[in-house]
Amino acid sequence: MDRENPREPEGKKRGGLFAVLPSNQGPPTLWKIVRVWLKIGTIGFGGGYAVLDLIHSELVVRHQWISEQRFENMTALSEMGPGALTVNLMAAIAYRLGGVPAMVMATLALILPSFLLIVALAGVFLAWENNPFVKSAMEGLTAGVVGLLIAVVWDMAKRIPRHWCCFSVGIAALVLGLAFPVNPIWLVLMGGLTGAARVWLEPLFTKRAAKGESGHQKVGK
Amino acid sequence: MNIFYELAFSFLKIGFFGFGGGFAMIPLMQNAAVYQSGWLTSSQFGAAIALGQVTPGPVAISATFIGYKVAGLPGALVATVAIFTPSLLCMYLLEKFYLKVRGNEITQAIMHGVLPVVAAIILTAAISLARQSPHYFWQTAVIAAVAALAISRRVSYGLLVAGSMAVGILMAFVRV
Repeated sequence: MDRENPREPEGKKRGGLFAVLPSNQGPPTLWKIVRVWLKIGTIGFGGGYAVLDLIHSELVVRHQWISEQRFENMTALSEMGPGALTVNLMAAIAYRLGGVPAMVMATLALILPSFLLIVALAGVFLAWENNPFVKSAMEGLTAGVVGLLIAVVWDMAKRIPRHWCCFSVGIAALVLGLAFPVNPIWLVLMGGLTGAARVWLEPLFTKRAAKGESGHQKVGK
Repeated sequence: MNIFYELAFSFLKIGFFGFGGGFAMIPLMQNAAVYQSGWLTSSQFGAAIALGQVTPGPVAISATFIGYKVAGLPGALVATVAIFTPSLLCMYLLEKFYLKVRGNEITQAIMHGVLPVVAAIILTAAISLARQSPHYFWQTAVIAAVAALAISRRVSYGLLVAGSMAVGILMAFVRV
């Protein structure tokens, strides 16, 4: 009981800026990090937000290596990086915990289970490609993936900012992608440039609009 | 050019421009592996993506399949390292300049411009994947069912993928 009481306020403080590591635990060793990352890489089925929950329960709740606040900040940061959100997030956390060596080792550990599994599956698939059962299973899988992609597009479309600029660049990309054999990388660059141009150009328009409005008011008076 | 250089170069490029999450890499991989180089047929690419969904871990692991198909185990290694290296580099830089990047209006605006494009190119990839596979009625049903269930978020992606594979195997029995 005596030991429980002093811990109470500490528990309440958690989630604040400085509650990165609980005092009873030092920073984790490289070996420990690699083991946890390996575990997440092995059971992290489902991708995306399902894995985000798993990472949260392992690193924030169970091991308490990073605080809630920092986890959220890092997730937002990871969305800016290219590639898979989970890989980015796990790499960033590993870097925070143990620098570049931890980042590299932990990422290798994270990918290793999937790597081994997919090499084995690729071997089986390529050897049995023309077997009617394998063929039919793949037709089912491909249909499932198309369904998933539609769901992903749906979720993304809901997050697109409500601005004519964003909608028109999306529609332009869709038309260009369907009509011409254009490398999608160019389309991504086009989107990024449009977004940047919007910020540079919009002040010009809004200033002019504001001036015009104030001018009108003066005339009205 | 040496096939390993080609693999490394292609997947580094894909890794670097895959903004908007793992799924954003699918159209880039399709372009590089099917349309530009002809490393995979369209249906093999469908299998690569599908197997990438079956395994734990990120979608980008489909690069491993493509590398393996092109140049065996060494090819798989090269492709995997190449597709994840840009992620690590960029996260390292983002971490270093975290405070500068966080509230930056320009970074936000760029991501806002990229998001609709990524949605569009994923839709394009989905359309071409659906178009190339032979059309059976049950496939259309699977596409609709998976899309609806995934949007409702009641069933996890992993289960949906496993389920659609099971439907495929059942259909083989029906046809045989």
